[in-house]
Amino acid sequence: MEKSKVLINVNNLSEIDEYKKVGISNFLFPVKDLSMGYQEYELDSIPDNSYLLINRVFDTETLELFKSIIDKLDRFKGVVFEDLSVLYYLKDKDIELIWNQAHFVTNYASINYYLNHGCTSAVISNEITKEEIEEIVKKSDKKVILNVLGKNMVMYSRRTLVSNFNKYSNIDNVNGVNIEDKKTNTNFYLKENKYGTAVFNNTYFNYINKLDVDDNNILYYLVYNLDLEPSKIISIIDGEEFGNDGFLFKKTTYKMKEYDDRRGDK
Amino acid sequence: MGLIELLAPAGSKEKMEFAFLYGADAIYFAGQEFGLRANAKNFTREEMKETVEYAHSIGKKCYVTVNIVFHNEDLENLKDYLLFLDSIHVDAILASDVSVMNLYKELGLHMELHISTQASTLNSGAALFYKELGAKRIVLAREANRKDIIDIKEKTGLDLECFAHGAMCTSISGRCVMSNYATNRDSNRGGCVQICRWTFDYLKDNEKLTDKPFSMTPKDLNMISYIEDMLKNGVNSFKIEGRMRSIYYVSTVILIYRRILDKIINNTLTDEYKDYALKVLNRVANRESSPQFYDKLPGVNEQYYLGRDEASNQDFLGLVLGNKDGYVEIEERNTFKVGDVVEFFGPSFETFSCTINKIYDKDMNEIEKAIHPKEILYLDLGREIPRYSMMRVKI
Repeated sequence: MEKSKVLINVNNLSEIDEYKKVGISNFLFPVKDLSMGYQEYELDSIPDNSYLLINRVFDTETLELFKSIIDKLDRFKGVVFEDLSVLYYLKDKDIELIWNQAHFVTNYASINYYLNHGCTSAVISNEITKEEIEEIVKKSDKKVILNVLGKNMVMYSRRTLVSNFNKYSNIDNVNGVNIEDKKTNTNFYLKENKYGTAVFNNTYFNYINKLDVDDNNILYYLVYNLDLEPSKIISIIDGEEFGNDGFLFKKTTYKMKEYDDRRGDK
Repeated sequence: MGLIELLAPAGSKEKMEFAFLYGADAIYFAGQEFGLRANAKNFTREEMKETVEYAHSIGKKCYVTVNIVFHNEDLENLKDYLLFLDSIHVDAILASDVSVMNLYKELGLHMELHISTQASTLNSGAALFYKELGAKRIVLAREANRKDIIDIKEKTGLDLECFAHGAMCTSISGRCVMSNYATNRDSNRGGCVQICRWTFDYLKDNEKLTDKPFSMTPKDLNMISYIEDMLKNGVNSFKIEGRMRSIYYVSTVILIYRRILDKIINNTLTDEYKDYALKVLNRVANRESSPQFYDKLPGVNEQYYLGRDEASNQDFLGLVLGNKDGYVEIEERNTFKVGDVVEFFGPSFETFSCTINKIYDKDMNEIEKAIHPKEILYLDLGREIPRYSMMRVKI
C-alpha cells in the first residue's frame, strides 16, 4: 500500500509533520459541530487542501449551520459526507464529494448512482466481506476509497447516552467510557458530545494488504485513528501485525433460518 | 387539510384484517424479500396480491417495505421484485437504498416511492435530494422535531409520514450495526437483535464505574398529546410501529388513534378523551412511552435502566366471534371469571363496561371461571356485540 494514497484523520495538528516525513500527505479533519466521534476542528484551523469529515446526520438547525459555511469551502480538497444534503447543496461546486453514509455503502449499484450524480468517490462500508468489497471495486465507475484500519463507529445515537446513565447512576461527569457484554465478548467505546453519542467497536480492524484489488481503482486507503500514536499507525501500514480481519471472512446473516443453518441446527 | 392517513403495521394477513377493521387507512408490510423484519411472518407473493386486492376493494392502501440496505447479492432479484409489486398495484414502496430508488425511476413504475425512516431524513436538503429521485413521501426519522417537520414541509411540499406510536431505536435508524458485531446478524438487512435492550458493564480505563448495569433502552414513542400540532405542521400520515405485535395491541392502538384523528377533524377532541386515550395506550403496551424528540431532546427520563423487564400483557380476555341464540360467542385469550368487570371495544360502537354474570362452555354448561385460552365460550350480556370486537380488563 503506497503511503501517498493513505488518507488519515488527525487527532492533533502536530501529528501532520510526523506523517509527512514518511510520505503520508492526505489528511481528514472532522469539522466542529458537523461531525461525531473524532477529534473535531474549527473550520478556520484546518489546513488548505485537506479533506473535511462531515459525518453528522443533519437536523434543520445543523443544515442551516452547514449552509452558512458553504462559501468557505473552496480552499479544501474535498468533503467526506454522511448527510445527503451536503451532496444536494455542493454538487455543482468545484470540490470533491465523497459519499460516506455510514453502513450504506455496501453495493456497487448505489455507489455508481452517487459516482454518476456528483460524487468523486465513495468510502466502502466495512461490514461486508472481502469478496463483496472486491466485487464493488471492480464494478465501480470511478475510483473508490477503502476503509483499511480503524475502530469502526458501529452506532450513532442522537441521545446523550453517557450523560443519561451518569445522571441515573449518580456518577460524576465521565465521557469516553466502555460498555462490555461478557456473554458475546463485545466491548464498545462510547463518546458523547452535545449532538449525541458515537459508539465504536473497541477493537481495531486491519484490512491492509488483505484485499485483492487493482490499486488503480483505489483513490485512497482510509485510516480512522481513534487513539493510536502516529508511529504505531506508520508501523502498521508498514506491515506490523495488528488488529483483526473484521468482516472480511465473516459473512453476516439476517434470517434466523440462515443463522441456524450456519450453526448446523437445521 | 390535505391527506390525513392512519397507517398500521401488518405483520400477517390476520393483523392486516384487524388493522383495517379497527380504522387504519393504509397498511405497511414486507414480502419475503428485502424487508427489515426478516423474522416476521412476511407475505408470500400470492398473499401480497390478495392483500392488495382486498385493501383496494374496501378503499384502503398497501405499502410494501423494500428497505434493507442492499449488498451486491441482493441486487439480482430486485428488478423482478419491483416489477411484480407494480404489477399487483401496490400503492407505494418504502426504500432506503438509492439502488432501489434509481431502479424505480429507471423502470418508470406507477406505484409511489416513499423514503423509509431507515434513511433517517431530518432536513429539507436531504428530502429535496430524494424528491429529485421521484419520492412522493418521506417517512421522517424518529428524531424529527417540530422545527424539522415544519421546515421540510415548507421547503419540499412532500407528503410527510411520522411515527406516532411504538418502539424506538436507540440509534438513528440505519446507523447501527451493533448486532453485526455482537452476533454476526446484519441489522440493516433485518437481523437486528436489539442490542440496545441489553445491559452491559460500565467501565472507564478498564475499571467498573458502578455495579449498576448500563442500559440505553429507550421508552416507546407516544404522540397522542401532539397529534393536533403535527397535523397543523403538515404531517399527512401517522404511522403505528409494530409488525411483530399482537392483534390486540394493533387493534387497540389503531382504534385510539382513529378516534383521536376523527375527533380532531370533527373538532370534538377534549382533554378528557386525550387522558383516556393515554390511559388505554399506557395499559396495552408493556413499556412506558413518551413523545421523545418532538418537543425536546430526550433525557434521563426517556430511557430504561433496568434491562429488558417487560411484563406480558394479560388484559386481552377474549375475541368476539359472533352472537348465537342471545349469547355472545367469544374465544378466550386470558383468564376471567363470573363477577369480573370487563370492557368491550370495537370499531363500530362506543367502548362500554359490564359485569360478567354468567359464563357457558361450548355445551352450554355454566362455569365459574374461564381458564383455557382459545376455548369457545358464551356470555349472557343482554345485548349483541359485533364480530371481531374484543373483551379486555376494564381500564
